[in-house]
Amino acid sequence: MDFRESEERQALREAVAALGAKYGVPYMREKTRAGEKTHELWAEAGQLGYLGVNIPTEHGGGGGGIGDLAAVCEELGAAGCPLLLMVVSPAICGSIISRYGTDDQRKRWLPPIADGSYTMVFAITEPDAGSNAHLIATTGRRDGSDWVLRGQKVFISGVDEAQSVLVVARTEDARTGKLKPALYVVPTDAPGVTYQQIEMEIASPEKQFQLFFDDVRLPADALVGDEDAGLLQLFAGLNPERIMAAAFALGIARLALDKAVDYAKTRTVFKQPIGAHQAIAHPLAQCKIELEQAKLMTQKAAWVYDSGDDMAAGEAANMAKYAAGEAAVRIVDQAVQTHGGNGLTAEYGVGGLLAAVRATRIAPVSREMILNFVAMHTLGLPKSY
Amino acid sequence: MKIVVLVKQVPDSGEERTLRADDKTVDRDAATKRMNELDEHAIEEALKLAEANGGEVTLLTMGPGDATDTIRKALSMGPDKAVHVSDDALHGSCAIATSKVLAAALGKLEWDLVLCGAESTDGGVQALPHMLAERLGVGAVTGARKVTVEGATVTVERQTDEGYEVLQTEGPAIVSVWDTINEPRYPSFKLIMAAKKKPVESFALADLGVSADEVGLANATSQVLEFAPKPPRQAGVKITDEGEGGAKLVEYLASEKFV
Repeated sequence: MDFRESEERQALREAVAALGAKYGVPYMREKTRAGEKTHELWAEAGQLGYLGVNIPTEHGGGGGGIGDLAAVCEELGAAGCPLLLMVVSPAICGSIISRYGTDDQRKRWLPPIADGSYTMVFAITEPDAGSNAHLIATTGRRDGSDWVLRGQKVFISGVDEAQSVLVVARTEDARTGKLKPALYVVPTDAPGVTYQQIEMEIASPEKQFQLFFDDVRLPADALVGDEDAGLLQLFAGLNPERIMAAAFALGIARLALDKAVDYAKTRTVFKQPIGAHQAIAHPLAQCKIELEQAKLMTQKAAWVYDSGDDMAAGEAANMAKYAAGEAAVRIVDQAVQTHGGNGLTAEYGVGGLLAAVRATRIAPVSREMILNFVAMHTLGLPKSY
Repeated sequence: MKIVVLVKQVPDSGEERTLRADDKTVDRDAATKRMNELDEHAIEEALKLAEANGGEVTLLTMGPGDATDTIRKALSMGPDKAVHVSDDALHGSCAIATSKVLAAALGKLEWDLVLCGAESTDGGVQALPHMLAERLGVGAVTGARKVTVEGATVTVERQTDEGYEVLQTEGPAIVSVWDTINEPRYPSFKLIMAAKKKPVESFALADLGVSADEVGLANATSQVLEFAPKPPRQAGVKITDEGEGGAKLVEYLASEKFV
């Protein structure tokens, strides 16, 4: 058993951290305030192969795993410039297409997803199907060799900066009964696709959208993989999503803890740095411990997924997402508290993390649904719903 | 075009650095080790020249066994291979001995151009390129902020305090560079993955025909007699404004020759 990351992953972290340092908090703040996108950082990270580390080498990627992609996500977050769409484009869409796409689909979409020149976002949540994915109602209907898609989605990240969206729908003949997902790649400019931004309290260059499919006609090859591959295919994408969400939370948490520790060392009240007081030092030490615990679980989950054990990966990825979300919320809160009034000023850049980090407890799967999963599947307790 | 880049592993200049109590050499164990910052610029320039003119880039380093970390990091920027000169007898070598060893190693390699950083952040001697040039009988143009190679002619803009000088020499030549010359690239993931598989050739002193009594601390031409930590920062001067604060400030600034 070896808890050290490979030399290559350590080198990757170092390289990504250096790139992140070039952009950092000022870049993100400027882009957010101007209502602009993070195109420069996305493009540079893509050209360096950081966005496609998990995509197979034969399709233009780095040939690594979700563990590598999560390291990239975490390091950019710790540098203050997280790229949210990494969670969807290379992690979810890249994983599903790598594993279940046809050869043509792989050749068409993976190389540009890997180098960042093409962004594919992901749409599963619906107004009446959030935590309960069994109620997904967006439906693909066969019409000759084409598909016709009808339905709506909500809380879809980055639709305005994506060329296409991977839509979780169901096939028409499976409208009732167990979820039988079918995945379609839908161009964001296809006739019948409309979207509307949801105003959020989270300040971020990446926006949230409602998405409407009004009889969107799709060619036969828009269906990814097999319409009968069902849940397996979906979870090939959802487990990486949870692991990436954990890494995203860890990045924010590291940024906040670094700021808090720095402040506690330098801010002097009563003639000594405030970090000398245990009321300041102990909570930060607890934060550090919880951060390391969450990071370990995230590394384990990525390792399990990358080893190919999808069943075990579900439990580990859920636990990682839970641990990272809980730790990150607590750490940002403690970082604000450490800064006192400065914690809520724009200058120190800590208070602004509150809304973003709070979302890591909710998305992509809520804390409560993770607890349900672990209670039922890990502990064998009765189902409550 | 074959280019050799000299690379050195140094203690991180961003941290507190110390000398060892016993032999007064750099305390490498206590330090976070990294590639000398200016060497990254030398590598970048070498890669650019090789990309523009064709050719290959070889790294050459002299250092302890753990300098392999720096070699891997440097290789992940894109050079083709590396040569690592390592020998216990080299510990504490002075600049003159270092130049002897590196010249011997360069004698075993094919090259048209040697690039290096203008100085190392630990030694800061800035003399190595000239020593090497003397030993190898080639030209050295140092402190470059720009390098151009046309045929065998190497032209550099040498950075000075006032501006720059244009220097020219016929290759093969040795060129040292400042950080103004370029922006080093970030290692791509593919190159990070490939770095481990790139060839690293190891030389001991015997392989280079250099004798142990020509190098090392005992034979160094300079010696550290004593050292002391830098004194703690003095408290600044506080001027309380009692109506003539401005005049007192000017008085202080004048006494320190700031105005």
